[in-house]
Amino acid sequence: MKKNLSKVILQIFLISFIFLALGPILWAIVTSFLPLSSLTAKPIDLDPTKFSLRNYFEVLDTSRGLLSGLINSMIIATFTASVALVVGSAAAYALARLSLPGSNFILLAILATQMFPGIVIAIPLFIVMSRLGMIDTHFGLMFVYLSFVLPIVIWILKGFFENIPIQLEKAAAIDGATNSQTFRFIILPISLPPLFATGVFAFIESWNEFFFAIILTRINVKTAPIAISEFAGQYRTLYGQMLASAVLASLPVVILAIVFRKFILEGFVEGAVKT
Amino acid sequence: MSRSSLSSSLNEIRTAGKYQRSRLRMGILFSLPAIFILLAVLAYPIISSFILSFQDVRLAAGGIVTEFIGLENYAKIFQDAAFRNAFNNSIYFTVIEVVAVTILSLGLALILNHPLGRPAIYRVVLLIPWALAPVANAVLWKWIYNANYGVLNAIVVGLGLSETPIVWLGSPFLALNMILIADVWKAIPFITLLLLAGLQNIPRRLYKAALMDGATSWQQFMHVTLPGLRTTLIISIVLQSIWALKVFDLVFVLTKGGPADGTVLLNFLSWRVTFNYLNIGYGAAIANVLFLLMFLLALAYIRALRPRSSSNK
Amino acid sequence: MSRKFRKPISRRDFLKLGAAGAGSLAASNFVMWLSGCTSGTGGEATTLNVLTPAAPDPAPPGVADFSMDAFAKWQADNNATVVYESPPWPQLHDKMATNFASGQYVHDCMYNCGWVPEFAEQLIPFVDDLPKELIDDLPASSFSTVTWDGKRLGVIFTLSLLTLFYNTEHLAEAGISEPPKTWDELLGFAKEMTHDGKFGWVLNYGAPEGIGGVTSYWMVFLQQAGGTMWGSDGMAAFNNSAGVDGLQFMIDLMPYTDPGSISYVGINDATNVFTAGHATMMMNWPFMWVPAQDPETSKIVGKVDTSVLPAGPAGTASIDGTDAYTIGKSSPEPELTTKLIEFYLDKEVQKRQVIDTGWLPIRLSVLNDPEVQAAASNAAAVLEQAEAPYDSFVTPDYNEVTDTMGREIQKALQGTQTAAETMAISEQLVNDIVSKRLG
Repeated sequence: MKKNLSKVILQIFLISFIFLALGPILWAIVTSFLPLSSLTAKPIDLDPTKFSLRNYFEVLDTSRGLLSGLINSMIIATFTASVALVVGSAAAYALARLSLPGSNFILLAILATQMFPGIVIAIPLFIVMSRLGMIDTHFGLMFVYLSFVLPIVIWILKGFFENIPIQLEKAAAIDGATNSQTFRFIILPISLPPLFATGVFAFIESWNEFFFAIILTRINVKTAPIAISEFAGQYRTLYGQMLASAVLASLPVVILAIVFRKFILEGFVEGAVKT
Repeated sequence: MSRSSLSSSLNEIRTAGKYQRSRLRMGILFSLPAIFILLAVLAYPIISSFILSFQDVRLAAGGIVTEFIGLENYAKIFQDAAFRNAFNNSIYFTVIEVVAVTILSLGLALILNHPLGRPAIYRVVLLIPWALAPVANAVLWKWIYNANYGVLNAIVVGLGLSETPIVWLGSPFLALNMILIADVWKAIPFITLLLLAGLQNIPRRLYKAALMDGATSWQQFMHVTLPGLRTTLIISIVLQSIWALKVFDLVFVLTKGGPADGTVLLNFLSWRVTFNYLNIGYGAAIANVLFLLMFLLALAYIRALRPRSSSNK
Repeated sequence: MSRKFRKPISRRDFLKLGAAGAGSLAASNFVMWLSGCTSGTGGEATTLNVLTPAAPDPAPPGVADFSMDAFAKWQADNNATVVYESPPWPQLHDKMATNFASGQYVHDCMYNCGWVPEFAEQLIPFVDDLPKELIDDLPASSFSTVTWDGKRLGVIFTLSLLTLFYNTEHLAEAGISEPPKTWDELLGFAKEMTHDGKFGWVLNYGAPEGIGGVTSYWMVFLQQAGGTMWGSDGMAAFNNSAGVDGLQFMIDLMPYTDPGSISYVGINDATNVFTAGHATMMMNWPFMWVPAQDPETSKIVGKVDTSVLPAGPAGTASIDGTDAYTIGKSSPEPELTTKLIEFYLDKEVQKRQVIDTGWLPIRLSVLNDPEVQAAASNAAAVLEQAEAPYDSFVTPDYNEVTDTMGREIQKALQGTQTAAETMAISEQLVNDIVSKRLG
């Protein structure tokens, strides 16, 4: 009896969790289907006949730049995530297994870069990048985003690598494998969960970043968050369209997170926790 | 401590054999790309912002004009009422957010760890707020909190909890808390995942042993779960603190720091001073103070993680 | 042994493939950048870079959809290619500041809104190079917010003054047929209109700074009370009866003001309340006439009218939206850019500007054109408003001044401070800011 009661309570918690987690998002979706006149009615006019895809068609108009924004974000996020994994896993392995003088200091320094508020490094960074001609280029933005996601990637993967039984590597060494071969053929294959987890994390971070995207791009490399924020002007804020574009811009990331959910979860189990 | 370890490492390298040296070479080779990228992108801006904080920086024809003024910017920080206000807001914001997120995430993780919470649907639902772009998140909550047309007021008034619509972002303290709620909502998924992973890492035999010793659920929680989660909890708290101190988008979109500076946080203040007032030197000083705050937190984390003499029961 | 290793190799290859693909994209970027380094030979079109807000905020042809043929023709005639950068409005100032701080050439022509004195050292005084007949066709007072240190650094391209917007249906229900003409009438009408969840007045008091922030709104009432912001020495000159009365009037209006006003950061939030029919009166910009007449967004189409702002003790007054075009010092093509701005101010282009996008022209001849008056029924009221003072009191520290004062004004509006206290405190704070600049 008591067990049934606790089950019921648990079920209630679970349902309210879903409601609280998804509620705001559902509201965003509902809003994106309605015209402004319905939204400003008191009480809110949820007349089903007013629902339409009009906002979506308007935001997908090429003049609004949402589609190109999505494409740019896709390119930048994919590249950043891939390179972050390659470079970050190598560095994480070096810090975990290969002897490196001052590794503690390096680790702390890497984490410290995360703590710098973006605001103040924006202007010097802009000056450097504009002198190098890297403003408004995919490459420039990718490079900057790499520096943002590498620290977390390295920390999580290092924790994981440290927990791989050393016997595996010793066995490989006895079989004549070099460090590099051990890394590529022994370590990496069994590290897929945390690799995917950090890859998805790096992807999401690059996809959603806003402040530096604004400062470091101009016309050609507008990313999805910029396209979304363009619907908020000084004189008109088109809420329905803005939320429609937000829904569209979040879809790829949500889909990615859902597809790789198994790895994300396992990745956390293996990587972040066993530090 | 680091000094002796550095010199002992160097000693090792000198006396090491060929294998050791090749490991060292690989170590440097493997870590070089990452370190190069970090240095190439961040070294100049970070050093530059550090230097800027000791200068009076003004826009002039052809760029910026700098004048060395020593610690004047930092002295000004201590006299600045706006800074004190932002500092207090940030401390309140961070503490409440970390406490709220940790407790709620822990509860959520426990529920999701329970057999009833196993279905994948719950994990998927968890990921969605995390995936939402921060800009979109800010606009969404601005719309939800709208005094006249927000759905929150529709619910509150509809349920009869209030006669008239409440202006959620209209009074300083209330606005700060509403921003807090929006950020907590966004932050819970990631921390829950982290804690959930930590929970799944606790060996089941520990629970079995406790059960055999006659422990109640509560005792199991206190003496098996919490100690087992210690590392994860500390990681969560530190990450959450750093992220809470960096909050910007929500303040910018929802309230622009208002009303009457009630929602100005340190990161927002730094932006306002740097980009709005174009007092770049002072803005850099504020940002450096913020950095120092986070750095001290991280140091505390390192200290707390150092292996202690066992305190496990 | 080999079988075990085949899978991991393919995964790594996939990663490599992805990196290679994106790498080649980056490489092509690099190649394009390299080729961009070499300057073009003669005969190639000159590129002009222009920074503007995105439509529907005030924007030139090419960003906003009007006069596109004339624009294409102008580019062809002048062998120029105009490249627009249109970031979201809230980021305009940040981008300009960053660009200027880098000292690099980024834009030839920039849109400016109240920041001309702030960026004065980065702009060139091109106005004197404009044809006399154009300058004579512009209201002389429109240059006050774009002039600094005696130099005219920009030209306003749209007449954007705050006027009174009011709901004729609400007033008619109370038997009122004319909009309020004085402060007393405004207060009285607002009181009468406040009932059953509807309010007499709404405005966005949520943002303290800038043009369209709460401080700039107070400046309207300051001028209507006969006051001014700055003395001849450049220090604060508003801590007097005019400043206090102006703020006091806003405070007196508060019981009849939509309570959400203190949380509305943008003019659109306040306008939403007005066009939904939940508030009777507000101050608004001429451009907002367009959404008020649009059945998609407005429930009061045909029930809204605009008039000159009610007069205070010293008559009526308003503030200038200060939407202007400026030219940067780093521009390699100042003459061509001046010509571009001339094009934006061309009579036909200005006419299409108002008819197609709703932004009023600035040229007096176009404003008085009967076709324009017919298309923009609010033009007459704005023209009448322009006969009274409309200073925005812009200075290089406009952002900091309005931000600082705005906080104090917000406190007064929330009732935690009196008008007199606010003026006194503000005078102190503003003088501190200004004396840093005046030295």
